[in-house]
Amino acid sequence: MNELLGMFHGLVNGFGIAFSLTNLTFALIGALLGTIVGILPGLGPAATISLLLPLSFKIGSPVTSIIMMAGIFYGAMYGGSTTSILVNIPGEAASVVTCIDGYQMALKGRAGPALGIAAIGSFIAGTIGVIGLTFVAPPLAEFALKFGPPEYFALTLLGLLMATLLGGSSIVKGLIMVVLGLLLGSVGLDPISGAIRFTWGFFMLQEGVDFVTLAMGMFGIGEILINLEKELSTELVTRKITHLWPTLKDWAESKWAILRGSFIGFFIGILPGGGAVISSLVSYAVEKKVSKHPEEFGKGAIQGVAGPESANNAAASTSFIPLLTLGIPGNAAIAMIFAALLIQGVQPGPFLITEHPDVFWGVVASMYIGNVMLLILNLPLVGMWVQLLRVPYAILAPIIVLFCCIGVYSIRNTVFDIWVMGIFGVIGYLFRKVDMEPGPLILAFVLGPILERSLRQALLISAGSPFIFFSRPISGAMMGFLTLFIFIQIVRAVRGKWIRAR
Amino acid sequence: MGRFKHPGPGFLPFGLAIVLVILSLILIFSKWKKRGASTPFWPHRTWLRPLLGVTILIFFALVVERVGFLITTFIFLMIWMGVIERVRWLTIISISIGTTAALYLIFALFLDVPLPLGFLKW
Amino acid sequence: MRKDKNFFLVWMLCLFLLIPVAVGGAEKFPTKPIEIVVPFAAGGSTDVLARLVAKYAPKYFDKPLVIINKPGGGGVTGTEGVVRSKADGYSLYLGYGSGHDLVTPHFQKLPYETFIDLIPVCRLSVHSIVMIIRADAPYKTLKEFVDWGKKREQVTASVSTKAGSVDITFQALGKATGLKIVTVPFRGGAEAVTAIVGGQTDSGGNHPSEIISHIKAKRLLPIAVALDQRDPAIPDVPTFKELGYNVVTVGSVKGVAAPKGTPPEVIGYLAERFKKVCEDPEFIKSMKDIGQPVMYLGPADFGKYMKEGFEQYGKLIKEFNIKLE
Repeated sequence: MNELLGMFHGLVNGFGIAFSLTNLTFALIGALLGTIVGILPGLGPAATISLLLPLSFKIGSPVTSIIMMAGIFYGAMYGGSTTSILVNIPGEAASVVTCIDGYQMALKGRAGPALGIAAIGSFIAGTIGVIGLTFVAPPLAEFALKFGPPEYFALTLLGLLMATLLGGSSIVKGLIMVVLGLLLGSVGLDPISGAIRFTWGFFMLQEGVDFVTLAMGMFGIGEILINLEKELSTELVTRKITHLWPTLKDWAESKWAILRGSFIGFFIGILPGGGAVISSLVSYAVEKKVSKHPEEFGKGAIQGVAGPESANNAAASTSFIPLLTLGIPGNAAIAMIFAALLIQGVQPGPFLITEHPDVFWGVVASMYIGNVMLLILNLPLVGMWVQLLRVPYAILAPIIVLFCCIGVYSIRNTVFDIWVMGIFGVIGYLFRKVDMEPGPLILAFVLGPILERSLRQALLISAGSPFIFFSRPISGAMMGFLTLFIFIQIVRAVRGKWIRAR
Repeated sequence: MGRFKHPGPGFLPFGLAIVLVILSLILIFSKWKKRGASTPFWPHRTWLRPLLGVTILIFFALVVERVGFLITTFIFLMIWMGVIERVRWLTIISISIGTTAALYLIFALFLDVPLPLGFLKW
Repeated sequence: MRKDKNFFLVWMLCLFLLIPVAVGGAEKFPTKPIEIVVPFAAGGSTDVLARLVAKYAPKYFDKPLVIINKPGGGGVTGTEGVVRSKADGYSLYLGYGSGHDLVTPHFQKLPYETFIDLIPVCRLSVHSIVMIIRADAPYKTLKEFVDWGKKREQVTASVSTKAGSVDITFQALGKATGLKIVTVPFRGGAEAVTAIVGGQTDSGGNHPSEIISHIKAKRLLPIAVALDQRDPAIPDVPTFKELGYNVVTVGSVKGVAAPKGTPPEVIGYLAERFKKVCEDPEFIKSMKDIGQPVMYLGPADFGKYMKEGFEQYGKLIKEFNIKLE
């Protein structure tokens, strides 16, 4: 009880700190910057934060700088879903799932509600995430530590399985895309053995294919190419924008999705590396399973946006937990924040809360505020975005292509990446012609390397014995669940065929 | 490739390739069974516009580093809107100029992204 | 007559105008910000060192230092970029002496010659290789670990990169102790630390800066360090040599290098200013807080040190017959 009071006290202090004019201003700057960065292709939150590091020294106070950086991180999460919904281009891996139903909604004239529910869902999820952060951070962090290679393997396998289910009509096609994605993911330097795979002598491919290049190509260029087939481009998007805001009906349908997504994202997001992607996948699969109209998924079901968006925002909040409580950064952007703190003399870790309570609580409090700010920022923007969609496709299309080109170029300042993107664009176009969804491919591309790495690490630890996946409690539970799940799917499929054959 | 207990770097790609072949065969087989009237891949020469799009993209990639971002973007927009779509002349010119300027402002100045300048040093 | 006088005046005027041009041409280095390339990801220990130096640099350098991260290829990509850049002192490589400089060339050929295409400027710090175990493990010293490990089929050690300095060191340790040590590579120091803290492996190899907060929190226990003498950042930790195993390395050295052909005056300027930063008491304190000892060496001494370190790794590899599988 005493501990709880202590936390409450700390939080109140934190709000006091967060409400200073300086800190509020920087939170706003961060949120604004993050949203812009999330929308623009190429530049990610990690790169932005590293660009702003020298600025953070000038600011002087570690609390203020981390408040700004957290704002950037969050804002990017919000912004990434905007492009997913509007033009079917995922801003980062966690937004891929949003593309599926979000874009369909936009095509039906419901971009406004889609964007709106994404913003609202993200707000609720972010708030739940921060509440969780406040009260259960330390034990959660301990739980996260127990996740070793076998657990990551099981988890990623689960995620990949969910990804195949996204494949729309045919499971076989979904599986093929997943396999292709896995193969693409293995291009480049293999960290476990040091061998270089599939680069065909292209030095530029040594680091593998970049996510942005693949996403811009397959999703962006591919989509535009297939749309070019229609002579009159204006028949493309339903010009009739039905509602600007989510209706009460939308809200009623989504509220549980948002809650479920928040909890899924909350727990999975703590795990360093890949937490946000997997949580968005799991949320989508869960929503599809519990929905009374699963056939709507893939055609513009609002739960398909509400759930995953909430999941990835909750995951964004909880990804701060390992940093603040254990001193372990979970992804590239958080690693930058970690470095910034170190340089300013603040050691993130178990002692952060006692040595620098102002930093800890100030950041937590500003996360609450940041969520509010982003909601206020994004809701009016929905109107603006929807207006953007009314621009004739003839003009919009080349501009989108240019955005992709520049975004891709800005990663490594080389035209090679534009070529790669172009090739993926053509491939993506051909895939769409044969009714194969690029979603599972890109998800497998992201998860694949983690899967393989974890498998080989786990086998090294277990001296080659595959038992390790089942003997450890957490991974054993997940593998068991997985096996059961696959079994049920097979039984269903066989039974379906049996019934139809009669 | 490594033994099963110690997978080497070639293990996964090889295994995946096998799975891919199997899956593709299943797919082909199931489509074969259902074959009816085949719909053309590209009715009414619909491949023309996508091909044009790809061509302009290739042009962009080839030229952008030598001639510079500003000019290439401008030409790109002009050709796309003029050839692929049929937009009014005035619109094409104004949008091309406006967009090129805006992109330059956003990426080069605001975000400090190095863009190829070609032989024009501005 | 007057015509000559005017002519003469015009001449004098031109000469006066030429003076600033002459002076401008011989402007002192630096005239613009200096780029420091860190060939590792942002947020890592080398990156933090670079940014800390950049933070205190404006006090001693006439122009600011700009940090650029160019990760990739285990450090080779970014380093190669500096090798191929203009040798005018505005493009420097920080991290000279890391695994890809001192260890990798023993196994494979790099696209440049580490000791010919790069000139040492100065050493800033040394990140030693420390062996750590969980504080609640059933063994508390190296000897206990070896005894415990002998009874098992294998022991595991989490390392940051395959065939990096840490990996090689642990393989040498395995041969020296007779244990079968299986090194499990992770993506960078941070992931490797997470693994050992979570108990996924029996032991771990890291640099002091990566684990200092965990040592303070009593989660991790350092049991030995692979240096010639004890590391000033963790003075209570014995060396492998003291404990009877001849596993000695220079660790991962963090120095500054410039491309071949950089003028000696420029090198001299840089070395002198970096030295001043290393003598700044606030800088020293900040470095100490994050577990990185400030160890400055000037260009000539650093060059010698690098050659010795390289040969030392070579000896280690030969003596313990370490191969890349």
